[in-house]
Amino acid sequence: MKLFSTQIIVPVDSNSVLQGALEVKHVLEEMIGKYNLGSQISVVETGALGIYDQGVVLAVFPDDVYYGNVMPSDVEEIVTEHLLKGRVVSRLTIDRSLSSKRLVEKETGKSQQKIVLRNAGLIDPQSIDEYIARDGYGALAKALAMQSGEVIQVLTDSKLQGRGGAGFPTGLKWGMVAKEQSDEKYIVCNADEGEPGTFKDRLILEGDPHSIVEAMTIAGYATGAHVGIVYVRGEYFMSIARLKKAIKDATEYGLLGKDILGTGFQFDIEVYRGGGAYVCGEEFALLESIENKRGTPRNKPPFPPQQGLFGKPTVVNNVETFANVPPILLNGSDWFKSFGTPSSAGTKVFSLSGDIVNRGIVEAPLGITLRELIYDFGGGVKGGKHIGFIQTGGSAGTVLTEKYLDTPLDFASMKTSNVSIGSGVILVASEDVPLLPFLEEVAHFFWHESCGKCTPCREGTLQVKAIMESLANRTADPDTLKRLGRLLNTLSNTSFCGLGQAAPLAFESALRNFPEVFDQALAESHVPEACQEEA
Amino acid sequence: MGSDKAVQSAGKAGTLSEEDKVFLQGVVERDRAEHHGRLSYMDIMFELEHHYGNSLPGAVLGEVARLVGAPASQLNGFVTFYTMLSTEPRGQHVVRVCTSGPCHVTGAPSIVAELKRLLGVGLGETTSDGMFTLEASSCLGICGVSPALMIDDDAYGNLTPEDLPRILDAKRAGGAQ
Repeated sequence: MKLFSTQIIVPVDSNSVLQGALEVKHVLEEMIGKYNLGSQISVVETGALGIYDQGVVLAVFPDDVYYGNVMPSDVEEIVTEHLLKGRVVSRLTIDRSLSSKRLVEKETGKSQQKIVLRNAGLIDPQSIDEYIARDGYGALAKALAMQSGEVIQVLTDSKLQGRGGAGFPTGLKWGMVAKEQSDEKYIVCNADEGEPGTFKDRLILEGDPHSIVEAMTIAGYATGAHVGIVYVRGEYFMSIARLKKAIKDATEYGLLGKDILGTGFQFDIEVYRGGGAYVCGEEFALLESIENKRGTPRNKPPFPPQQGLFGKPTVVNNVETFANVPPILLNGSDWFKSFGTPSSAGTKVFSLSGDIVNRGIVEAPLGITLRELIYDFGGGVKGGKHIGFIQTGGSAGTVLTEKYLDTPLDFASMKTSNVSIGSGVILVASEDVPLLPFLEEVAHFFWHESCGKCTPCREGTLQVKAIMESLANRTADPDTLKRLGRLLNTLSNTSFCGLGQAAPLAFESALRNFPEVFDQALAESHVPEACQEEA
Repeated sequence: MGSDKAVQSAGKAGTLSEEDKVFLQGVVERDRAEHHGRLSYMDIMFELEHHYGNSLPGAVLGEVARLVGAPASQLNGFVTFYTMLSTEPRGQHVVRVCTSGPCHVTGAPSIVAELKRLLGVGLGETTSDGMFTLEASSCLGICGVSPALMIDDDAYGNLTPEDLPRILDAKRAGGAQ
């Protein structure tokens, strides 16, 4: 192995590429060649650092210097000044390293807790050797030396809950599949991340694809399955490519395939792509899609652990859930439970978006408050403005006022304080963003994404959209809110699957938290001559 | 692949050449091998959509149905369900602009309005020169750099209306992919 005195890390992911990361990396390599530094300095491509409002970032180790907003034209200066002469180019340095960690620690004493994102931004995601060097596949080796029931017991004891939105206990799910007698079983990874405002799974897949390969293999061993399938959003080209490379490399290393680590256990993983349908995040719709059908939900029960893919017992877990599995097996369930709250163990990866200074990904122990996420990690609202509203959990999530800033976020917070955590979306809108056109867009989203299988959702989302339009356009009739309330009730109680059941969350919470906005819209409304209800 | 066919949107009833049939059989067989004897219609359709200029002609779907042993109606039902697939002819480049929450909050409405103005079409429509089809999208998963859009396989983020002419011109100059 070649030794280099200096390493320069370039985070390359779907977001940083848009800001020119590949051009900067290309120029950097050229300059290192030009100044004949190739034997001393290595350029390492990593996954996301999780922060996008600093443009292209370069990190120089062991100097521990971070440059931000680097343009290709800046690179020669960094090479000649810093790398050749040892003089840091201070005009480009940023005072915050991995996802604002350093700044936050300095000012507030708070730091991110990285379990899921333990490798993202640190290793080359395309190098299986770097993953192994960070204890990668150690959890698989440990699991294979245990009884499958013991593996499930560790997960059950850890209280790990599904990170896709529903929060179902992972150990319990795996135990249900392990119990089933069947010639075939399947492990499915739900990477059809479609909840608007969620981009964490993409970063996990782009930054640390081997963690998913390892966790799915462990799930296969624990439940007696030999086939794993990752269903990835069709737009996630980089995730798909890196995952396929990880699968290929793991197979070559004997960590996937016929005789894993010489134990005789067999497991293979395939990648299937989504086609742009939000409903396919629903587990049965996803399984239907893998079966080459329209992505519509099935009746429950039976649930996937009993009759899932091709009618066989199936584990369906979210990307983030899987990424938690190897560290839990390595460090134990007590270690995992030391993070989080009594009702919700571990961390959650939050996606910060909207009018916030530092948009990006933050991993923090469950129980963190919105104030900490938005102000300590997110740097507050852009332009020093006030918060207009916050949506948590996704489009299928709650719309909140500043009053909720100090509510701790965990899997119980929907029940205890009407704050949904969902997939970890934190969308901040400044005081300049009007609420009703935003809700009109959310209504349009659900109408568009309803699969059409059941009447309450197909017709209900259309009517919600019409009502939100009439409120935003000030053409609502006086009975509108009464009708909306009844409609939302019908949707949540009678829809066939989670899509229709959760669609009302945004509107119900907005009605509860911003009644004055609706009242004002009604007061200003003029019902047009023709009936405005026709949609 | 198949750049000469990029604008040949074969029409709904068009007949297939022998060359087409050989090509389709190859696509299906390769997919079957990759998925260990199973098939992924999605992978097949993505490849065919690229090949046939961003849409899936009826004759192509008919032949694929025959090759995979499924009723054509089932394949049609599959294709028309997923927004990334289209049976209607589309332009050489498909512009998918995100309108969902995070993009909405950070300025998507002005991006959509400017795209409509620059292209002279509404959402779901294709420019008269067959160059661009404008579509709305429900989240592209790059909310960290909203507002965002994708043209074909390329994503663009942190958009302002002023960025759009340059992006469209570059695509236009690149011609068929």
